[in-house]
Amino acid sequence: MRRQERAGPRIDAWWDAVLAGETGEAHPIFGDQVKVHLREGRLTLSGDLDRREDRSALLRQASSRIGRGISHVDASALRVADRHEKAGILEQTLVAAYPDRATAGLARKLVLEHSRVAPKEEGIVDHADARRLRELVPKEFVDDATKRIEHGDALLILRVDETAGFKVRELLEEDTRSTWTIATPPRLSSGNGK
Amino acid sequence: MSELGSRGARVRRRVSAREAVSEHLGVRDVVRSIGPGVITGGADNDPSGIASYSIIGATAGFAQNWLLLLATPMLIAVIQMSAKVANVTKSDLATVLRTTFGARIATPAVLLMVIPSVITMGADLLAMAAALQLITGVRYIYWVVPMAAIMAVVTIFLDYRVVSRYMLGLVAFLATYIVAAFLAKPDWLDVVRSTFVPQVSLTPGYMLAAVAMLGTTITPYLFFWQTSGEVEEKRGVQQLTRTNLDITVGIIWSNLTAFFVIVATGAVLFSHQTPIRTAADAARALEPFAGHYAPDIFAVGIIGAGLLAIPVLAASSAFGIAGLAGWRRGLGRNPKNAPQFYIVIGLAFLVAMELAVSSVDPVKALFYSQVLNGLVAPVMIILMLVLTSSRKLMGDFVNGWLTNAIGLAAAVVMVLADIALSYQIAAKGVPS
Repeated sequence: MRRQERAGPRIDAWWDAVLAGETGEAHPIFGDQVKVHLREGRLTLSGDLDRREDRSALLRQASSRIGRGISHVDASALRVADRHEKAGILEQTLVAAYPDRATAGLARKLVLEHSRVAPKEEGIVDHADARRLRELVPKEFVDDATKRIEHGDALLILRVDETAGFKVRELLEEDTRSTWTIATPPRLSSGNGK
Repeated sequence: MSELGSRGARVRRRVSAREAVSEHLGVRDVVRSIGPGVITGGADNDPSGIASYSIIGATAGFAQNWLLLLATPMLIAVIQMSAKVANVTKSDLATVLRTTFGARIATPAVLLMVIPSVITMGADLLAMAAALQLITGVRYIYWVVPMAAIMAVVTIFLDYRVVSRYMLGLVAFLATYIVAAFLAKPDWLDVVRSTFVPQVSLTPGYMLAAVAMLGTTITPYLFFWQTSGEVEEKRGVQQLTRTNLDITVGIIWSNLTAFFVIVATGAVLFSHQTPIRTAADAARALEPFAGHYAPDIFAVGIIGAGLLAIPVLAASSAFGIAGLAGWRRGLGRNPKNAPQFYIVIGLAFLVAMELAVSSVDPVKALFYSQVLNGLVAPVMIILMLVLTSSRKLMGDFVNGWLTNAIGLAAAVVMVLADIALSYQIAAKGVPS
């Protein structure tokens, strides 16, 4: 919810663009998961969202604009994805390289804002504090990460729930254009047994 | 007390991440698990595949049924590996190849997938055009450009994952081969014997057909497609059991259809020594079932198979190149947000269209595109095995010995077939 509040002005701007006929832009929060079509006042929302709350929030946003270029909202094709996975079982560490610490910081901001992720552990590491790598990165990947730091990169390291892994990697690799990204294999969450 | 505690800890076995997410699925879960695996299975029976199986049935009868049986667990194993590598690394195959082996290995590997895929697209376009000629009587060459344009628009501007569910319905027409096979009254004892007892003939024709059979069944673009599908569906390792079920169902259905295509064509065409030179010849295998409607049913099946497979081929190529370059990608993305990805799709359609228009013999183009896939596939299988056998990359989800054995067997069988084909061609020339 807080994430949506922070993105409020961008969500409003996105809706303004939709009402002006610009329906091709990605939603500031849900990205390409949501598709929107506006014709003769009829707004059609489609796509797969991760959570029921997201669907309700999007419908609220749309309904609040009825009378401002929208006469009817059709959300019959807006679904909530049928998810079976549970959070809290596995976790994964994602490491992404950027040219410098400032860029890594911006990437971190974008990832946290656009994903549903509250990292279990996170950090930005460059040559100044390379020793922290051993705390943050599984030992099998320390050598690879060290090479990137020696190359002059700053690394954004996020340990997240496995269920968020796809979203976080997509944001790191495709949206923040990291120069190198890896996801270490899923492991049991700290303190989890079965 | 502390001693008891430490003994308890010693006795308690460490639960692996894989065990923590394993599931026991019921019959109802089969339907709920259907996803990219079934689309992959459907796309495996593309028009080139149907043409290759038809030619194999018409020229070799049932003699290569055993290869299809052998290829089934191999394809299941390799596609399951593809799904696993995507769900563990949270990325598609091209990206994993690039980050693991570097661009020097990833780039040729992706090109080895892209080139045969675009050639197969051209061959599939020709097949669809030839199928339309069967129905309308208008020469096939006039259908190539409109078909390519329609499919490019659908792939680029509509959500292909939604559209593909409808395409699967059209492919169901290929199930008519099952009925046709029974109505053709083949010698079932011969069918069963050929399926379970390997028969090998060291002739160029047999080896060419064997490489095409393996190439059309274990096709490299499917590996890329499956990983990209998993990334788009975001199923994750917690759903690996369901994913594997989805893949197994999809591939068994796909290969069962292929089996009956061979049986039907073998019973109708091989027994009368009728070679396949045109789409109309291939359609004759359906005559026992459909009579004079055989060409129409064949055409609808081929068009449906093409509508399902050609976008998959184009998208697999685009996923490969975008993964190499680190571009935004995904069929669920709006073209505005992933322009390079969609430009590659458009280019793949353009090149395939050009190939289709300039090609002279549709049936040969279909067959030889599958031979090319057969030559490339072992390289991709070996790369896949290296990735999924790496404990560093896969952690607790590393391949078990059985998966490794089946994967390795797939690579070995395909390499042997390729070597035998090369030797036979060098000694006796290319069969006509």
